[in-house]
Amino acid sequence: MGGRRRRTSLASVLAVALLAGGCGSDDGGGDGDAAGSDEQVTLRFAWWGSDERRELTEAAIAAFEEQHPNIDVQGEYIEWSGYWDRLATQVAANDAPDVITQEERFLREYAGRGALLDLSEYEDTIDLSQLDPLVTGSGEVDGGLYGLPTGVNAYVVYANPRLFDQAGVELPDDATWTWDDYIRIANEITAATGGEIVGAMDYGGNEAGLKILARQHGQELYDEDGELALEPATLAQWWEYSLQLRDGGGTPQATLSAEQQDTGSPEQTLLGTNRAAMAWYWSNTLAALSGASGGELRLLRPPGEHERERTGNYYKPAMHYSVSARTEHPEEAAMLVDFLLNDPAAIDAVRSDRGLPANLEQRERILADLNEHQVAEAEYLAQIQEDVVDAPPAPPVGAGQVVDIIKRLNIEVLFDRLSPDEAAEQFINEVEAATG
Amino acid sequence: MTTVPTFSRGRAPGEPPPAEPPRAPEPPRRRSPLAKREGRVAYLFLAPWFVGMVLITIGPILASLYLSFTEYSLLQPPEWLGLDNYRRMLEDERLHTALRVTFTYVLVSVPLQLALALALAFFLDRGVRGLAVYRSIYYLPSLLGGSVAIAILWRQIFGTEGLINQLLGLVGIEGQGWVSHPDHALSTLIVLNVWTFGAPMVIFLAGLRQIPAMYYEAADVDGAGGFTKFWRITVPLLTPIIFFNLVLQIIGSFQTFTQAFIVSGGTGGPADSTLFYTLYTYQRGFGSFEMGYASALAWVLLVIIAGFTAVNFLAAKRWVHYGD
Repeated sequence: MGGRRRRTSLASVLAVALLAGGCGSDDGGGDGDAAGSDEQVTLRFAWWGSDERRELTEAAIAAFEEQHPNIDVQGEYIEWSGYWDRLATQVAANDAPDVITQEERFLREYAGRGALLDLSEYEDTIDLSQLDPLVTGSGEVDGGLYGLPTGVNAYVVYANPRLFDQAGVELPDDATWTWDDYIRIANEITAATGGEIVGAMDYGGNEAGLKILARQHGQELYDEDGELALEPATLAQWWEYSLQLRDGGGTPQATLSAEQQDTGSPEQTLLGTNRAAMAWYWSNTLAALSGASGGELRLLRPPGEHERERTGNYYKPAMHYSVSARTEHPEEAAMLVDFLLNDPAAIDAVRSDRGLPANLEQRERILADLNEHQVAEAEYLAQIQEDVVDAPPAPPVGAGQVVDIIKRLNIEVLFDRLSPDEAAEQFINEVEAATG
Repeated sequence: MTTVPTFSRGRAPGEPPPAEPPRAPEPPRRRSPLAKREGRVAYLFLAPWFVGMVLITIGPILASLYLSFTEYSLLQPPEWLGLDNYRRMLEDERLHTALRVTFTYVLVSVPLQLALALALAFFLDRGVRGLAVYRSIYYLPSLLGGSVAIAILWRQIFGTEGLINQLLGLVGIEGQGWVSHPDHALSTLIVLNVWTFGAPMVIFLAGLRQIPAMYYEAADVDGAGGFTKFWRITVPLLTPIIFFNLVLQIIGSFQTFTQAFIVSGGTGGPADSTLFYTLYTYQRGFGSFEMGYASALAWVLLVIIAGFTAVNFLAAKRWVHYGD
């Protein structure tokens, strides 16, 4: 046997083994007409999240099916990071779910590429009158309405009062505290407990906090046209704060922060395991974090709200419901979206799991009998109302990539591989390339 | 002479080679009706494989070649770009990082892994009692090494508060996290790859067994020492096996994905220190909807691997002895 034959067969081995990615796809598939109302219809409804969310959502689906016996809704659920991979391939294969849960950074990606239905054409079916005007606009893309917000969220500095006690440090007044206060308090807690407890978890890889700082400076992460609208100095300051915390002991050593940055579940975070006194998260994480830490957590406003030009906090649509442009049953899909947003049965089932309900009437109704976590969350959202000036403009197409860019640059800074100024410059270059 | 393992199509790098090279049957001189019918039946049996090959393998490969010249977001039909995707690679700094990471990994881990495999095979071949048991134990990591479970375990062991640092703590050294430190993360993945030395070891062992004892006896008569025998008899007669392992491990290492994906949580981090080529391709394709660019990346990897393999075969003429 000569070398030649082996070489060719080897080449085919490589060729076979190498390519998992490219799949052929045909792009036919015109829109089906709206189905008649009594016909037996099956809808697919996709969301991401925990097992708890699955139970709540399936209860809502059951209530919907009871009202509409001719519609069968099949839930498709998976955890956050796998969700987007799967959705992308499903859409490419012309096999998208009928009702799709979206997040604002990905909503524009899908809407801008024609994958979603313009829901403004279904206003007869979907009642928009009760939805919180502070977040409804977030689903508008290029003049169409492609997503409707499920509920309202805001960013929070969670504080664990027991750990503050243990360190002998007083809880700050969150109406007036500055960034320097935040850093000083975090450093004090670590020092007072000899490092047994760290003051705060590192938050430099999180866009939402940066957005708040930028707004405090009178800037935005993205402007109305989707262009980056913050100054390099703001970014540099953002990471400068991280270094002050790292060097002062207020946040843990860099390798631990790097591990925590990729920790998805609240139970495993330093806050959840009672080893950090403060951490930044979304308000609808309260129940999960309190459950993990086994005690009450305080919800503090971000520092620096009255330190600079203006306040930075904002309400964020927790998620959006959208409908696939290729659904065969647009009318029924719109009915399901309307039900999830407005029907008391759906609100009773899902409660504040997708943020505090966007429907103001329903939000008011359930406030009366919320559990302690939901009450604290609702109170926080009410409390910051005086700080919330406006909503940040919707992020541009490509913003989904920024999630990873800022995390990566944060690590570069924490390990002193880039200075805050260098990281700021690189952030701007990379984000402009991703969203350009 | 020694039996040289052949490269049979479709064999995964981890599997041991078949004991015998397949022997082509004598073709019948005249095809009887029975033979013809049997021929048809044979094709019928082959059909599922053949259909699968065309639809699942060759079709997508050709499609990806086409897509590599397009912009394809998965959501909209592809748009022709010509060579733009390939031009873009020249300026893509993260791609250059990915190439650096991948080459470092291949060039460091493959020689280490093969050296360890050969050393242990040599040791086991010296007539250890319970050879079968040891062989199985050492082979085990090769079966597990590419799995998600092991990658998760690795993350734990080499974490800031993982086993390694706890052991170091016992002797008073406060270690930093290994998988989460940009300077060390790649090393832990290299260790993981070296750890799966079992597959090449089993192949080496089979090769060592086939070296006729008479060579060693003759050398003994001439008064050769252990090192001389190893260097002058074992290694030359083993070169076909070394070559075989080298080619397979290089190809396999270039395609490393699972370990890097799990250990870095899909990011290639910390700070792109484990951004393997395949992981970057995946990020471009599924993370940022750039399937055209991802396809182009995949084709470049194919060319790189083919290039390495070609160089290997050319160089082999100088150092591989087939014992004829």
